[in-house]
Amino acid sequence: MSVRELEDVWRRESPHVLGALLRRHGDLADCEDAAQEALEAAARQWQELPGNPRGWLITVASRRLIDRARADAARAGRELAVASEEPSPVPPERDDSLELLLLCCHPALSRPSQVALTLRAVSGLSTAEIAAAFLVPEATMGQRLSRARATLREAGVRFERPEPDDLPARVAAVLDVLHLVFNEGYTRSAGRALLDGELTREAIRLTRELERALPDHDEVAGALALMLLTQAREPARTDARGDLVPLARQDRSRWRRDEIAQGVAILERVLPRGPVGRFQLQAAIAAVHAEAPDAAGTDWAQIRTLYDMLERVAPGPAVTLNRAVAVAMESGPAAGLTIVGGLLEDPRLARHHRTHAVRAHLLELAGDHAGAADAFARAAGLTASLPEQRYLNRCAAEARR
Amino acid sequence: MKYVILIHSNPRPWGHPTADYVPEFQSLPQERKDAMLADFERRLKELSERGELLGGEALGDAANARLYRWTDDAPLATDGPYSEAKEHLAGFFLIDVESQERAEEIAGQFASPGDTVELRATMWPGGDDQ
Repeated sequence: MSVRELEDVWRRESPHVLGALLRRHGDLADCEDAAQEALEAAARQWQELPGNPRGWLITVASRRLIDRARADAARAGRELAVASEEPSPVPPERDDSLELLLLCCHPALSRPSQVALTLRAVSGLSTAEIAAAFLVPEATMGQRLSRARATLREAGVRFERPEPDDLPARVAAVLDVLHLVFNEGYTRSAGRALLDGELTREAIRLTRELERALPDHDEVAGALALMLLTQAREPARTDARGDLVPLARQDRSRWRRDEIAQGVAILERVLPRGPVGRFQLQAAIAAVHAEAPDAAGTDWAQIRTLYDMLERVAPGPAVTLNRAVAVAMESGPAAGLTIVGGLLEDPRLARHHRTHAVRAHLLELAGDHAGAADAFARAAGLTASLPEQRYLNRCAAEARR
Repeated sequence: MKYVILIHSNPRPWGHPTADYVPEFQSLPQERKDAMLADFERRLKELSERGELLGGEALGDAANARLYRWTDDAPLATDGPYSEAKEHLAGFFLIDVESQERAEEIAGQFASPGDTVELRATMWPGGDDQ
């Protein structure tokens, strides 16, 4: 069996193997170690794929867990309750991936820990792969993972489905984590790192699985639609030189129509069903852009309405800023500039590059080229993104001409 | 989000930890000095355990730096220090944190009498198309 084939089996089976172990033995760190040992045994022993790879992995990993518990008990000089508990050779067919996602995105963990643990335990990525994806040293990522597992242990978190009342908030945290993983990959595709496609694909794969587990959860469907509609723009978001092309200037003939169609179909199914959350609204906005022939031909009135709704559901400066653009495109730059002016009174937003970048675009629209050049230059100085900085510096130079 | 925390200091003689060689720190009561150094060690350990500390180095004497300036179409080497300022770059830490607020909180904790702590964002290769 090739390494690649084994990797595929592992990525598919690891959440189920871990889930089965966790149901019997609650400690995530122990279960991950045992699952890892089972994978190593498979790499040594499998000439070809066994009939039931999941059952094989679970059985071997369970034995490792019991061996270890015995050794620990012997060291402590204690009787061992689990000694008689032989692993069942054929595991019950049950999908544990939702419980595993919920465990990895537990509210006791910080957001970066939730992200790291999800990619490790649910996606089956190695610590080195996750570290490379987030551009940090492997030792640092190892620390984050160990700390996350220790936090779960200290908090006494159990592997079980939360109470129905708690489920919406817990699923919301999972969606935030998956969306973060997606964005990390998507925003990086303007750069040079190689693993980005992997992150966006993995986020979409996990969101699809979540949707299968919770088909009536409209925000899960909304998040999936948003990812697909965003991912569709990927071929157009850099130019031949590799520089970033903003949405308004993208060559829309390069957008991937199949992903747009999938995203739109999901939205058409869930939007009429009732109260819409922030992912559905963001996806709806992306769909309006996707259906427009170009920036000028966009239905800005509809986008403005959607941002008005989004601002009620999930208020925040980024939403207000986007609403300012929609207002400006619909009713003229002055109205948009008034909104941006209000945001600039907050010192934190005044130090954020997007506030100035949006102001610059609106000033340019209003014909104030000198003001636009200054605002573009201010935005360029504030951004920490290399491609955005190159783009904004270019805009400043063009506005000065 | 990654940031560097740059420690500018004027230890006399040059040495580490710089606090041991900075008069503003040395003039503090011993108890206060001990508490501040213990605090610093604890914070460093905590940053590492949280997976926020990516690395850092203490730097050699700025007076022994070698400088290379482009002169007559070729690099010309001279002896340091680079700047005429009293304080020099004495060390740095690289951190990876969730937000600018967290970076500012950490940088503030690195402040010490006589030193200037500089927090700088690092550039990253990605970007948003919105």
